Amino acid sequence: MAILVNKDSRVIVQGITGREGLNHTKAMLAFGTKVVGGVTPGKGGSEVEGLPVYNSVAEAVEALHPDVSIIFVPPFGAADSVLEAAHAGVELIVLITEGVPTVDMMRAVQEVKALDAASRQAGGKGIRLIGGNCPGLVSSGETKIGIMPNRIYEQKGRIGLISRSGTLTYEAAKLLGDAGLGTSTTVGIGGDPVIGTTFADVLPLFEADPDTDAVVVIGEIGGADEEAAAEYIASHMKKPVVAFISGRSAPAGKRMGHAGAIIMGNVGTPESKLAAFAAAQVPVADTMPQIIDLVKQVLNK
Amino acid sequence: MKLHEYQGKELLRRFGVNVQEGKVAYTPDEVRTIANEYGQPVVVKAQVYVGGRGKAGGVKFSPTPDKAYENGQKILGMDIKGLTVNKVLVTKAVDIDKGVEYYVGMIVDRNVQSFTLMACAEGGMEIEELAAERPEAIIRHRVDPVTGLRPYEAREVALKAGFKGNLNKIADIMVRMSRAALELDANLVEINPLFIDENGTPLALDTKFDVDDNALFRHPDLAELRESEADHPLEVEAAKYGFAYVKLDGSTGVLGNGAGIVMTTLDVVNRAGGKPANFLDIGGGARADIVYNAVKLVSKDPDVKSIFINIFGGITRADEVAKGVIQALNEGILTKPVRMRIAGTAEDEAKALLQDVNSDLIKMYPDMFQAAEAAVEEAKK
Repeated sequence: MAILVNKDSRVIVQGITGREGLNHTKAMLAFGTKVVGGVTPGKGGSEVEGLPVYNSVAEAVEALHPDVSIIFVPPFGAADSVLEAAHAGVELIVLITEGVPTVDMMRAVQEVKALDAASRQAGGKGIRLIGGNCPGLVSSGETKIGIMPNRIYEQKGRIGLISRSGTLTYEAAKLLGDAGLGTSTTVGIGGDPVIGTTFADVLPLFEADPDTDAVVVIGEIGGADEEAAAEYIASHMKKPVVAFISGRSAPAGKRMGHAGAIIMGNVGTPESKLAAFAAAQVPVADTMPQIIDLVKQVLNK
Repeated sequence: MKLHEYQGKELLRRFGVNVQEGKVAYTPDEVRTIANEYGQPVVVKAQVYVGGRGKAGGVKFSPTPDKAYENGQKILGMDIKGLTVNKVLVTKAVDIDKGVEYYVGMIVDRNVQSFTLMACAEGGMEIEELAAERPEAIIRHRVDPVTGLRPYEAREVALKAGFKGNLNKIADIMVRMSRAALELDANLVEINPLFIDENGTPLALDTKFDVDDNALFRHPDLAELRESEADHPLEVEAAKYGFAYVKLDGSTGVLGNGAGIVMTTLDVVNRAGGKPANFLDIGGGARADIVYNAVKLVSKDPDVKSIFINIFGGITRADEVAKGVIQALNEGILTKPVRMRIAGTAEDEAKALLQDVNSDLIKMYPDMFQAAEAAVEEAKK
């Protein structure tokens, strides 16, 4: 078991013939991910890595019955690709693309949520978007739907990991692996101001997962997602959670790379995030390696 | 991308917002000419990309053309929070006592995954101060990103905020402002103050406009408004390479792959007792040439005494990073000590390449803390 995806998840790649799409298709196949095909408008009927390419997601869905679509489409068409997958009925959509206009994301996220609600009302499984500007997700030892380095996710573990930052997810996963703890599922939710899935959306899945013992939340400055996560943890979580906040020394008013990582006035400060976690009795690590010490402590309680 | 007040006003005017008339001047003589033309008291306002211009002395009421000339002399060339004023906006003055000032703004709000419309009956002050002092005075309303703000919603918000005046006209300005925000891909649009005169008619006295850089590809006319003089020269150069770069005030140059890891790298440098000279994210999947340009950029900064490169390769290959660094070294561009932590995809290949170079300038460390300490130590030498 793992959350969201497992070894049986069938994956299609939107933008499979592009440079990133192709490279990461190869890496995912090497990891053992069940990539079953791809989509590139105009290249339908061709093959990539022995996989069939379709002109539309609808065609790919009809032929391949995928559970997941991962998107490597350039920024101007990325939100449209999300909607194409959602309307074709793909249950889990992972948007890797960085630099998608915020207004496009607002509209796409809102429409996906409406489709999700409609699907659930009709007795379906719903539709979920993860990202954009995210590294994807991986259930260790089972499947990787993303761009993470394969090596650090080969061993299964029992710690859930959620992060707004790609690189810090790798860092944390490696530390957890080296410490003999390992990860169950890692979800990179993305660094943009408007994203499909937040910390608070993923936490209940880990709470319900019998193969996860504790959760690590890697947040950063900007927005109030960590505060919302802390609130959820305080009122709903029985499993222990450990947090880390990146960008604690960043100056206010400057955008630190991630479009979402900006302190505006008194919103998004490290202080308010630390206070929220303190109120929820979630220990916060000062450094990345300290995450390991804290995880060990909460597991021994 | 931030816009100047005069540019934001011009954009709002395009959307039919009633904006206070004004013209840009670059010399005191031009200020006087405009004041003469208007034939009434004017306000001379510094055009720089920072808030708090009034407090810094960059906004001055000028009852006569001579006084306007004098104020133009004072303000042009002035330094406001590190930015030099090289142009002013000369606008017709409004008798503030004969009306009321409000605040309205549209801001990208991650908590509602859309824009939030904010309105407050206490205009004229900085919204951050307002939010800190009297958060309950600000009315917030989520705007649907597909339909935009409807006039009835705007009227409801204006009523809740306690706005007085012609409700339909005020709502109309809010609707037009929100249309501008959505159609022009803004991160932020503010009208502050929104002046309501004795007849109840609204007028935008000042604006803030910030456009989403990611959407500039569909607004080529806005992209042309980018003014390089507002930024640090190194930030301008970084933008050409497509780097996320922020100039900071320390002496340890910082370079990493991914916004998250670079933010944490800044934290680690601080923890080691140093101060970062910059934030530089080379992005995902960077090839050797990109890394080479990044090293070149950081090396150019006269404040930089050492460089800390922190790489955890995923989509980025560590050996490509190594090749870029080595190229910079071989070409004599790299002259400052580089302390590195390099891990992840193609880590072994990278380490082998760097070991072969065998230069005292480049040293590798097993973790980012040791690398940070070494880089900070070098910066202090």
